[in-house]
Amino acid sequence: MARDLMFQQEIKETVQQAYAAIATGAGETVARRHYNDQELAEVPPGAVDWALGVGNPVRYARLEPGLVVLDVGSGGGIDTIMAARRVGPQGRAIGLDVLEEMCERGRTHAAQAGVEGWTEFRRGEMEDIPLPDASVDVAISNGVLNLSARKSRALAEIFRVLAPGGRICMADLTVEGDLPPEVANDQSAWAG
Amino acid sequence: MAERVFAGKLHRAGFADVWVGGHRPFGIDQAALYPLFTPEVIQVMRETIPADRQDHVASGVIVKARRPQ
Repeated sequence: MARDLMFQQEIKETVQQAYAAIATGAGETVARRHYNDQELAEVPPGAVDWALGVGNPVRYARLEPGLVVLDVGSGGGIDTIMAARRVGPQGRAIGLDVLEEMCERGRTHAAQAGVEGWTEFRRGEMEDIPLPDASVDVAISNGVLNLSARKSRALAEIFRVLAPGGRICMADLTVEGDLPPEVANDQSAWAG
Repeated sequence: MAERVFAGKLHRAGFADVWVGGHRPFGIDQAALYPLFTPEVIQVMRETIPADRQDHVASGVIVKARRPQ
């Protein structure tokens, strides 16, 4: 158990250090893989530059005006801002990220997009979400759950903050079969 | 994480109506676009993953579920 907890802490630190060290996101090439022109026009260029996701959860999330949406692992805010546009000022968009510098980027991009009035970014961990029980209608995330060494705990936390009948819509990567141990055990593979 | 493991974790957390779709192949060339994958690990991937799997190392998926009323 102690070894397992140490391993979890090591993974957490590795992921946080990797994200803190990068100077930019995956950029427009990757963003264009997941978002169409109309969607990209909704967000400022800085949010596109900081795109690090692996899909487009907002497109599948059936967001409507007035809903409260939580973006777990919001990064530079591209999905938070798209979600904010859909829930509108009658709703609320909350970006959650473990790195304060990512939250700052999200705030800057939300202000540039003009959605800052109903959008906020909070620093926190997906395994310990700083929100009350049953306070969210829809939780989205994009390439984030796989970064957690405690995925079941993170899902339990998302379940806790969702209101009854609330929904989760996540983009992520799945792997069938084994990766070579040289890849699976590499620290940047965890962070990636 | 395998797709069935992902779905199982959602069920165990209490979620209902778990749906997995929108599958898209994710290969080494895509991984190389992300700054979080170092050139070293990309090189290791190219050297150790069989050529016929290199364009589909993982799948990008959309996972949806609902907290019951």
